[in-house]
Amino acid sequence: MSENQGGGGLKGFYLVFGALALVGLGVVGYAIGTRFSGRAVTTPVALEGSGDVQRLMEMAVPLYRGNPDAPVSIVVFGDYLCSHCATFSLRIRPLVEAAFVDTGQARLIFYDFPLNPATGSFLAARAARCAGDQNHFWEYHDLLYRNQLTWGAERDKISILEKYAEDLGLRGEEFRACLNSDRHAQEVSANRELAHVLGIGGTPSVLVGRAGGMSRRLSNYSFESIKEAVEAVLGAGSGEQG
Amino acid sequence: MDPGLSRVTEGRERGAEAPSTGGPGMLPARNRMAVALLSLVGFFVAFYMLAYALGWTGPVVCGLGECEKVQASPYSKIGPIPVAGFGVVGYGALVVLALLGLRSGWERRRLISLGLWGGSAVGVGFSAYLTYLEAFVIRAWCQWCVVSAILMLLVFLASLPELRRMRANSHGN
Repeated sequence: MSENQGGGGLKGFYLVFGALALVGLGVVGYAIGTRFSGRAVTTPVALEGSGDVQRLMEMAVPLYRGNPDAPVSIVVFGDYLCSHCATFSLRIRPLVEAAFVDTGQARLIFYDFPLNPATGSFLAARAARCAGDQNHFWEYHDLLYRNQLTWGAERDKISILEKYAEDLGLRGEEFRACLNSDRHAQEVSANRELAHVLGIGGTPSVLVGRAGGMSRRLSNYSFESIKEAVEAVLGAGSGEQG
Repeated sequence: MDPGLSRVTEGRERGAEAPSTGGPGMLPARNRMAVALLSLVGFFVAFYMLAYALGWTGPVVCGLGECEKVQASPYSKIGPIPVAGFGVVGYGALVVLALLGLRSGWERRRLISLGLWGGSAVGVGFSAYLTYLEAFVIRAWCQWCVVSAILMLLVFLASLPELRRMRANSHGN
């Protein structure tokens, strides 16, 4: 390319332009390269067709507890770094389970909703699912809530999450391979996106409804509110049958 | 003629054609250098977001805001094409136009001036629309989208001298 603005100035410009192009190529190339580097995915991944609620419902994968044929669904959206979620999981959920889940009246359905994924809650959600691969989801889930302040403040979250897996007696290598990859990133991302699409603004959010039907979002997560909502659904069900 | 007076006259004539005086059609092309550099940065920002949208990267680096929420929203695509794709094409076109505009003999071409000014005006309008969507519809910010919007605004400002250049060239023609 010839020069029209004083050779020195234009040469300098092309030098800066070339350097900037090289830096840009390097950065973008690195970003694309890390896709295949086996690093732990710590934030949501892009989802195809995520704007479509139906498609999201298909992509979202919750975790269940209780009788699959239970007439009532108790749906919970939770974040592992939310203190109210810890309160719900450790104090309220046992009461709800004893009253309705263990008795076969309701089924508990848990969706991850990492509000601020980059803080570690997305990674924790993936870790719980990696534990779930070894049939220890709920133990790991509760352990995360019990130790929320510890691992939440830890800089090296991977190591402490791996240690929790060892504490629970999981197969360490298998757990490590799962955590240090993109496994379960899509499910957690879809669950999170589903929460956004449904207008779930915070955590924990509890929805109660007839199994397979519409659920109503409760204004709070107290045992009394959940009990009232479950009994209302059960009452309506028996009324219809009668 | 007095030799001293002759030097002054020559100087004025030379000055009338010199870029630094802003004579018709010969405005300094430093603004095009700025457009080329800013658009190049914008191109890579848009390319990174496109790579993320196409699943070519791992998780998006997003220290500020919720890039993934913005990227996962229905507004992140126009039809099947990720919005970032339009950014890649737009910034790429501005880079090419700015570089062509620096070529000898191309500084007066109306098409270059029109392309730079018009292209960046469309870009800044599109960026403003996307920023509105982030603020009031999606209610989440993506740092890369904000960076891109700022870059496009700067490109537009750097392209403003093209209006003067077009006017000067049309007077000259």
